[in-house]
Amino acid sequence: MSPEIIRLLWQSCLETFYMVTVSSLVSFALGMPLGVLLTITGKGHIKENPKVNQGVGAVINAIRSTPFIILMVAIVPFTRWVVGSSIGTTAAIVPLTVSATPFVARIVESSLKEVPHGVVEAALSMGSTPLEVIYKVLLPEALSGIILGLTLTVVSLIGYSAMAGVIGGGGLGDLAIRYGYQRFEEKVMIATVVILIFIVQLVQSSGDFLSRKTDKSRL
Amino acid sequence: MIKIDNLTKTYTSKEGDIQALKGVSLYVGRGRIFGVIGQSGAGKSTLIRCINMLERPTSGTVTVDGKDMGALTGKELLRARQEISMIFQHFNLLASRTVFDNVAYPLEIQGLKKSAITERVLPLLELVGLHERARYYPSQLSGGQKQRVGIARALASRPKVLLCDEATSALDPQTTKSILALLKDINKKFDLTIVLITHEMIVIKEICDKVAVIENGRIVEEGGVLEVFTNPRTQTAREFIGTVISQHLPPFLSEIGLSPVPVDSGKLLVRLSFIGASAGQPILAGAIRAYNVDISIIYGNIDSIKDTPFGTLIAEVSGKSDDINSALAYFGRQNLRVEVLGYVP
Ligand SMILES: Nc1ncnc2c1ncn2[C@@H]1O[C@H](COP(=O)(O)OP(=O)(O)OP(=O)(O)O)[C@@H](O)[C@H]1O
Ligand SMILES: [Mg+2]
Repeated sequence: MSPEIIRLLWQSCLETFYMVTVSSLVSFALGMPLGVLLTITGKGHIKENPKVNQGVGAVINAIRSTPFIILMVAIVPFTRWVVGSSIGTTAAIVPLTVSATPFVARIVESSLKEVPHGVVEAALSMGSTPLEVIYKVLLPEALSGIILGLTLTVVSLIGYSAMAGVIGGGGLGDLAIRYGYQRFEEKVMIATVVILIFIVQLVQSSGDFLSRKTDKSRL
Repeated sequence: MIKIDNLTKTYTSKEGDIQALKGVSLYVGRGRIFGVIGQSGAGKSTLIRCINMLERPTSGTVTVDGKDMGALTGKELLRARQEISMIFQHFNLLASRTVFDNVAYPLEIQGLKKSAITERVLPLLELVGLHERARYYPSQLSGGQKQRVGIARALASRPKVLLCDEATSALDPQTTKSILALLKDINKKFDLTIVLITHEMIVIKEICDKVAVIENGRIVEEGGVLEVFTNPRTQTAREFIGTVISQHLPPFLSEIGLSPVPVDSGKLLVRLSFIGASAGQPILAGAIRAYNVDISIIYGNIDSIKDTPFGTLIAEVSGKSDDINSALAYFGRQNLRVEVLGYVP
């Protein structure tokens, strides 16, 4: 492989890293509160509220059922409004975040729902406020599951980021398509796939490790 | 300490309304251990959860330590709950926290400083016998140990009332006894009022002062434990008592077929129940001497509730019919409860 290709690979790695990191962090930050909201407004929970629950749920389902490639194009005006441009690596972060946030919300919701109701009830019986129930009971009790879910989100984002080439996002996936597929440079193709596999493995095993570390229910 | 007045609770659902409580009134004095016993679905959990407003009653009032629980505002209710602790059948500990941190939880939410928390938690762990397990997680403990953590956690906020929702139902008999002993101990030590619900009569017999029998959302019988045990008025109460003390005739007796009218043999089968002091006195010997009857004991058992012995004897009394009647009257005067079972054919 020529030094030029190596340089391109390295640059693509950085682009992928940038897109995935920022969109992961932002979607965690937005998706977590949504997941909490979905949980506590659910039936029989501490702030049961069917209207809010179904409203938020409907929006989330709508986004989740839109294929990423369509979503990316459909929200171009929004992307331009947020980052000032609709093409480029930074611009790709917006659709990635928009599609990952509902995913995170659902994953957090399902982890929080795993917390036995009796535990919440015990906290309430001790005079906990709803906020205390969330921060001191629900989130810590569900942490291990949430970590696994977030790991899954990151892995999916790595996959989706490959489609960012459509709007000039760059990254490893884009490189593989441009060089490997369109110019028949097999080596580039193989190199990007190997790097992607390596990154996904690394993310997954770190996630598994952290999840195991925080799971105190099986010691 | 706790006054429950005409409490009702109706659950509404698509499938229709369920009246879980149909007008329950109870009074629990300070420092008492009050038991509520009932079959599954009788409304026990609903009742106890209405005391701290985990469940909002449909109508009626609950007063705890002079406070009308239903009328408290949000903040007041949270404060009131800190004085009413609760323990649960499935312990409901925080799996992500150590034993120490579980007991510390109620103090954390009260805003106590770290040092103050440690000062309170350690003696509590000592009290429940788990000071060496402070750094363990709940998943590393046995059921009995988990309930001890639950009890320590419940005591941390120095409550006036402890509510126990089937606190021993998930434990084996041996562990149940030790947890009950612990509850009795803290009841004395802290002058703690305890309300416990259960479907196990052994729990009532072991530690309660008073008992109420709940059936289908209503209290059908209530009284001192000894009183209810020795003189149950409802079939439900009798069945529960039957689970710890056999009320039935031994099989061999029911097989021979007793006659309700005197027969030639002149042998009368009676059940004598005795409570307290009379249990220790030689009443039978007295009757034999004074009334010229023969008495042979067929079957008997003796038990004690809160240090008061009580028991039942099934005895065969034979002799002249007048003598037998005098003997039975004599038993009555000695505070034995006499129940004529029939004549032996
Ligand atoms: N949240 C609820 N929604 C609808 N019905 C309920 C609810 N909780 C309890 N019930 C009904 O109310 C009745 C009393 O239930 P409760 O849980 O108080 O019984 P219990 O005496 O505690 O029974 P167990 O010994 O099985 O715990 C039951 O018929 C039950 O089905
Ligand atoms: Mg129950």
